[in-house]
Amino acid sequence: MIETARPAAIAPVTAAGRPILEIEGLRVGFPGPGGNPPTVVLDGVDLTIRQGEILGLVGESGSGKSMLALAAMGLLPAPGRVLSGAIRIEGRDLTSLSERAWQQLRGGTLGMVFQDPMTGLNPVRSIGATLGESIRRHQRVAASDVARIAEAALRAVGIPAARERLSAYPHQLSGGLRQRVMIALALVNRPRVIIADEPTTALDATIQAQILDLLRERLHHAEGAGGLMITHDLGVAAEVCDRIAVIYHGRIVETGQTREVLADPRHPYTAGLLAAVPRFDGRGRRLVPIPGQPPGPAAERISCSFRPRCARASEACSAAPALSPPVQGRSVACHHSGGGQ
Amino acid sequence: MNRGAALRAALAKRLTELLVLLFAISTLLFFLLRLGGDPAMLMAGDEADPEVVALIRAQYGLDAPLWVQYLRYVVAMLSLDFGTSLSTGRDALGLVLERLGSTLLLAGLAVAITTAIAVPLGAWLGYRPERGDRQAVNAVVFVLQGIPGYIVGLLLIQLFVVELRWLTSIGNQGLSSWILPSFTLASFLVPKMVRVIAANVAEAMREDYIRTARATGASGRELLLFHALPNAVLGATALIGTQFAFLMSGSLITEVIFAWPGFGALLVASVTRLDFPVVQAAVFMIAVLVFLVNAGTDVLFSLIDPRLRRQTA
Amino acid sequence: MTTADRSGAPRALLPRLRLWPAGGAGTAMLGIGLVMVAVLLVLALTVGLNPPREALTGNLRLRFRPPGTEGYLMGTDQLGRSVAGRVGAGMVWSLGIALVAATLALALGTVLGLIAAWVPGWPRRVIRTLIDTVIAFPSLVIAVTVIAIMGRGFWTLAITLGLATCPIAARVVYAEAMSLARRDYVVAAQLAGVGSTTILATHVLPALRPTLLTMFAFTFADMLVAESALSFLGLGVPLTAPSWGNMLSESREFLVEAPWLMLAPAGAIVFAVVALNLIGDGIAARARRRGRSAM
Repeated sequence: MIETARPAAIAPVTAAGRPILEIEGLRVGFPGPGGNPPTVVLDGVDLTIRQGEILGLVGESGSGKSMLALAAMGLLPAPGRVLSGAIRIEGRDLTSLSERAWQQLRGGTLGMVFQDPMTGLNPVRSIGATLGESIRRHQRVAASDVARIAEAALRAVGIPAARERLSAYPHQLSGGLRQRVMIALALVNRPRVIIADEPTTALDATIQAQILDLLRERLHHAEGAGGLMITHDLGVAAEVCDRIAVIYHGRIVETGQTREVLADPRHPYTAGLLAAVPRFDGRGRRLVPIPGQPPGPAAERISCSFRPRCARASEACSAAPALSPPVQGRSVACHHSGGGQ
Repeated sequence: MNRGAALRAALAKRLTELLVLLFAISTLLFFLLRLGGDPAMLMAGDEADPEVVALIRAQYGLDAPLWVQYLRYVVAMLSLDFGTSLSTGRDALGLVLERLGSTLLLAGLAVAITTAIAVPLGAWLGYRPERGDRQAVNAVVFVLQGIPGYIVGLLLIQLFVVELRWLTSIGNQGLSSWILPSFTLASFLVPKMVRVIAANVAEAMREDYIRTARATGASGRELLLFHALPNAVLGATALIGTQFAFLMSGSLITEVIFAWPGFGALLVASVTRLDFPVVQAAVFMIAVLVFLVNAGTDVLFSLIDPRLRRQTA
Repeated sequence: MTTADRSGAPRALLPRLRLWPAGGAGTAMLGIGLVMVAVLLVLALTVGLNPPREALTGNLRLRFRPPGTEGYLMGTDQLGRSVAGRVGAGMVWSLGIALVAATLALALGTVLGLIAAWVPGWPRRVIRTLIDTVIAFPSLVIAVTVIAIMGRGFWTLAITLGLATCPIAARVVYAEAMSLARRDYVVAAQLAGVGSTTILATHVLPALRPTLLTMFAFTFADMLVAESALSFLGLGVPLTAPSWGNMLSESREFLVEAPWLMLAPAGAIVFAVVALNLIGDGIAARARRRGRSAM
């Protein structure tokens, strides 16, 4: 039913399943003091994640990418709230859910991996207790099965000696193992949507690659599920994601298949991000930083937000560009993206 | 570090502290007593017969050279011989020991009351500290913290004994006589512990692992009971040592106010009468209790805190 | 690691810190506390130093007059003395002893704490063992015993309390100085060859200021309570001196007929302690907001 509601033209080139997470016109803001207009951190974001697909949301810190993850989990920090728009999972809108209904979704339908595995696990609870708590909450299983499921979850994320690890405490595990535990915790109840917010940023470089491999493998392996990977690092997104959405100042400025976006960035910001990524393919090339600073969330959005930092800025940029309708799955919000497409 | 080795090191440290403490206090007492004047005169009283003073001096070996006196004194201490009470003639340590039960009863009741009030109230305050009702209660706790425990005792007597005539305020005469002293002693600890638990809970609620638990669908109640509170209480356990010293100071005053037959009141009475054998026995008893409580806390910690994070506190 | 720092000694000793007063609340608390202390100070310097005749010499025809009696704001006591006048006169004893004791405790504690932090090896070990040992022991027991031998009096009490309390200050200063010594700017100064005395003077002591100020307010309050507690036990100031603790002690015999004898000095103590706690928590909250630690 949902499939028929979508024009076939939008369907990405690699055949993905039906949409599992749809975000439509999402605006998120923090009320200003004394009834002032809210500070908007997400301004009309549209995203779709399909079954079997991993979408990378790429942006600098302060771009609103983590707010999007928290909004999708119903975990926006107070007093932030969804001002308008919809977050749908399999067609069901979440924006008006009660806290109790959210609790049933979180950890069950929605799994999340956070950035810092060193502080993200309760230091006085064993790994088994942490996993068991979530299993008991979302699965109707006999008490005797809980440990077995937890052990299987640890094994699935490549933790050796899984059975013994159940009685281990976080401080007894390395950072990489802890992040594997966090991933196991996010996956243990077979969620439909898995959100990972900078899952490798806090890890050593050598561990990062292992965790990325694991995420790519597990996320693709999870049947009928979709993944949202949030990162500031285009290189990380390129490793893991099928599609990429670039977010700037609370708006999506470019989306498309990973390969195509990387090969042919159409938004100057995406191009700038790409030029700032070190490459290891032997082609000697200077890294070019993007000049200037990203705007704060309170900055105006009447003109293009990237204009002050953009080499191609012109008169036309005094009006903020809208995201173009998708062509071959690609959209871009720039007046200079070759217009005629 | 290996858990057992860490525990042994901690206990060895406590034992060193006990020995240092006993040595320091007994030496302090010994020399203060001689510094403050002639101990025999002090014991006999200002208007005593010179013959009586001489008798006391001979009886207590006060006519020997100072270093001989000190050596004898240390040997006596080491063999737990504190001498006999100057005012009653009974064995000093025995006097203290027979009052140990009452003091421990009072302290135990006070700790139970403190826990029963501080943990729930602190959890409630710390869970949503920004809310108006919590801020109001927090302000009340802040003011209560400024009321010394013995004033609370006097106010309780004023209200329940003088005005309402519900309770008695003298001695240990069964359950109804326990209420006022134990609440008074608890009042020395409650405001501080409430604020500690509240601050710990508030801090724990901001931790990343709370957000992780939220992301697995935990409700507010589960976050508080399973995640924030255990960490908060564990943090407060580290205070048992310092709070026990505070509790003992408080029980000194509380026992005097309520004529409670514990060794705190005995200590104050003996100090006023300059009955030094009893004072020394009481101080020795307190030092041993301090050691037992701290060593017990160390053992408890090594059992319940998986990180064994506490090294020195 | 952060978890170790979090369970470090300072919080164990002064648990009332680290609570939430955030933002402007710290300034407001500090302001209210300072105004309350100013009121006390003015009263101490006027009434306290020149107590009215009615406070010292009684009038037996005017015994147990309730508060509000003409000319006697807080009534009269068992000897017909003005309770308000005695509370005023008691300030010199109670606040004076607490001031001397707190200053002594902090000065000595700071020196000990800095030595322990700056001189590794046996000085650190000895001082730390001493600190840990004395802190675990009830200080009131020490004070009671010493005063019984040395006799009651302003200076005996002030010095005894100061000495018995200095380990707490020493431990806080030690922990704070140790954490400062690990800060990048201190390490950088050491690597640059700056002498340790200079580092102490330019980097460590200024950074300790909010801690010391907070601790001074709290210690002052604690000393006030300790003085009144000892006097209450009859082991504080001379029995005839009008200290707040003595007044409370005497009031116990007249709880039935003249409760105001207890309420007046009790109110004075609570007022002073709350004022000092407000100042201490206010300074701590402000320092925390500026990102500096006050314990």
